[in-house]
Amino acid sequence: MSLTEVLPEVQTLSRLEKISLIEFLTQELERDKYSLIEPGRSYPVWSPDQAYSAADTLLQVLAEDKVKP
Amino acid sequence: MSASPQRFLYVPRDPTLVHASLAPMLPLTLIGNQTVSASALVDSGAALNVLPFSLGQQLGFDWSQQKNLVVLSGNLASVEARVVVLSAVVGSFPAVRLAFAWSQSDAVSVILGQVNFFMEFDVCFFRSRSMFELRVKT
Repeated sequence: MSLTEVLPEVQTLSRLEKISLIEFLTQELERDKYSLIEPGRSYPVWSPDQAYSAADTLLQVLAEDKVKP
Repeated sequence: MSASPQRFLYVPRDPTLVHASLAPMLPLTLIGNQTVSASALVDSGAALNVLPFSLGQQLGFDWSQQKNLVVLSGNLASVEARVVVLSAVVGSFPAVRLAFAWSQSDAVSVILGQVNFFMEFDVCFFRSRSMFELRVKT
């Protein structure tokens, strides 16, 4: 249904119903604002989140770095 | 030099998805053989710091001279990485020594992870206010 089809229907609503509609639309807009994750879009995760062995190597190299003159 | 906390703003990483792409990006100066300004992702989920390939080159590191190889995970699992240690200056904090897994890829950001960025700084994230706060370790 298009907006031009909806508007005449809206005009027939009572004042109270129009206010309810405004509240509904406001809530819908707020919800859209926070719909941040789009279906079908790629969201690569680059965090090396389980590279513990690599992290341990970094710690060893840092320890060697500390004792350098 | 300051030991008091310093605040930084979240930055949109994708101009088409401003709210969705806000991330804690930390401006810092990296000091290797050369000095380079960079913006790094403060990533509490990362096990370690990561340096993209071209930035390592700008800092003056020679790939063939880095003998410590490391294996990364996630999207970086197939990317070779070697360890480099450099100094970094954040805001007005004293310089710290940071070890990075220097990846042979530019598809990754500078990542500041648990080893050893989070060992040097205490970090509080305030995503609802689009800011984060750093303190030197106590």
